[in-house]
Amino acid sequence: MRLQALVSNRSFLTLLFGALLVLPAFANQYTLFVGNLMLLYIILASGLNILVGFAGQLAFANAAIYGIGAYGTALLQVHLGWSFWAAAPVGAVLAMVIGTLLAFPALRLSGIFLALSTLAFAQATQWVLWHWQSVTFGAGGFRAPPVNFGWIPIKPDYGIYFVTWAVTVVLLLFTWRIMRSRIGRAFVAMRDGEIAAQSLGIDLLTYKAMAFALSSFYAGAAGALYSALLGFVSPEGFDLFQMIIHKAMIVVGGLGSVVGSVLGASLLVYVMELLREFKSTQEIVFGALLVGFMVFQPNGLVVFLKRWLPGWREPLHLAGHAEPKASVLSGSFKGATSDERPAAERA
Amino acid sequence: MTILAVDRVSISFGGVRALDDISAAFGAGEIVGIIGPNGAGKTTLLNVICGLNTPDAGAIRLGDRVITGMKPNWIAGMGLARTFQTSQLFSGMSILENMMTGLHLRSRATLFGAALHTKRMRAEEAELAARARDALDFVGFAAFADQPGDSLSFGQRRIVEIARTLISDPKIVLLDEPAVGLSINRVAELDQLLRRIRDEKGVTLVMIEHVIRLVMGVSDRVVVLNSGQKIAEGRPEQIRENPAVIEAYLGKQVDAGRAAS
Repeated sequence: MRLQALVSNRSFLTLLFGALLVLPAFANQYTLFVGNLMLLYIILASGLNILVGFAGQLAFANAAIYGIGAYGTALLQVHLGWSFWAAAPVGAVLAMVIGTLLAFPALRLSGIFLALSTLAFAQATQWVLWHWQSVTFGAGGFRAPPVNFGWIPIKPDYGIYFVTWAVTVVLLLFTWRIMRSRIGRAFVAMRDGEIAAQSLGIDLLTYKAMAFALSSFYAGAAGALYSALLGFVSPEGFDLFQMIIHKAMIVVGGLGSVVGSVLGASLLVYVMELLREFKSTQEIVFGALLVGFMVFQPNGLVVFLKRWLPGWREPLHLAGHAEPKASVLSGSFKGATSDERPAAERA
Repeated sequence: MTILAVDRVSISFGGVRALDDISAAFGAGEIVGIIGPNGAGKTTLLNVICGLNTPDAGAIRLGDRVITGMKPNWIAGMGLARTFQTSQLFSGMSILENMMTGLHLRSRATLFGAALHTKRMRAEEAELAARARDALDFVGFAAFADQPGDSLSFGQRRIVEIARTLISDPKIVLLDEPAVGLSINRVAELDQLLRRIRDEKGVTLVMIEHVIRLVMGVSDRVVVLNSGQKIAEGRPEQIRENPAVIEAYLGKQVDAGRAAS
């Protein structure tokens, strides 16, 4: 009985983030870097999961928004001489503003059409990063200035690690709370049936914009932190493969699950590091993981947690339909609800 | 007292005239049945009333406000709720959360309130949950509160959906074939529930239904549509004997009481 109460999302997350907090005490330079990447990808995955997993918007712009956060932060430092501490929030907010604009096509388009239009936006962003050389320094990228921790006596890479840890914890806590509020319910209602959501008074534009804004802010914040972690920014870090990584993380972890985002991100960062020597195989392995999960376990790893751990609650998880809900990724998501559309022949 | 009026509404889809100059008025606290053969325009009429379709001509009035062309979520906020032919329970949420979603417009928490988990937000959530349980209790589903939305049978979902529309204290609820797929015993329960909604809550119910036994038994008035036109309106017993209805809908040679279910 008591044991069951201990098996919960909360204790899992507390344990994981406790471990990540004390990691720097034991880790070498490389392990610290991997831990830091893990935190970054947890931010990215939970942000994307808000949009795709909870709100059901099949968007493919997350990597580009991540890039806008990173470029915004680094360029403000390089061109205008801002400090990281001023540039990072502005970079994240810039990413959020641009990302929120994507909600407008999302009001008209859904499924595969939204996917394609956001993909086009991502490719256009790449083009700008490559060709607007006077501002972005083109394909070769550029160095971001090191972060200044001022009077705090800490080595920069440790400093960045702890900042990332704190931002991740705060953002994850916010995700958790928002998804369990009336706003999260509105997202899930939109995902499970737009017409019904509207007829209960949920304004689609407002909530789509909110979902895009939240997820873009997360991606932008991750980008800002990434530019500080690497000290170097270039377009290829935010390309289509990066998008596949984010997508694979939320599918492997579980769409519409906070723990799923954390699980998927941590696991795939580990896989990514195992394959660091063989960069070309990364793409194959990630593609295979994404396809494999979509076909065989579209509801992600949290399904096993739900099955094996009694007392594990996953209330808003995108699962349980007779129809495998991977269709949210293959674009036929809307097909399942086409019957609800007001049509003349359904008179 | 009329609370919802449909005034000379027409709408076409392609070449099909789905509604042709339809007028109807719905009073406070009455149950109105809408019947008619397939393709008569019944669901289109509901869609036009709740804002999913904008009519080509005519006006819809809710209370003393013209609501023609408004977005469905605005109209919902003005006290008009509806259910759909297919189950629209959100399957990714528990029954209780589904009910709480029905209170979306009655709750205030903002993004920041939710993120910061303010005292006010928590108090509101507790109040929503309490109201949700009360509403489930009204339809006898309190024990199901924490089950996932897709764990219920088809018929049970329809009842919970009706409860979800009632939770926001609407003035009028549109029901699109609430009895579809229900067994005879369930239809009798639904009959009782609809009467209780009218009598205890004073809510106006506008119901499309093919189960004639239910419509004729529970409705105060019946409106008959055929090919987008209103061919009859009146008390159930008048409708039963109306020759135009018998010809258009129930068929000429068939015993009217047993047909078309």
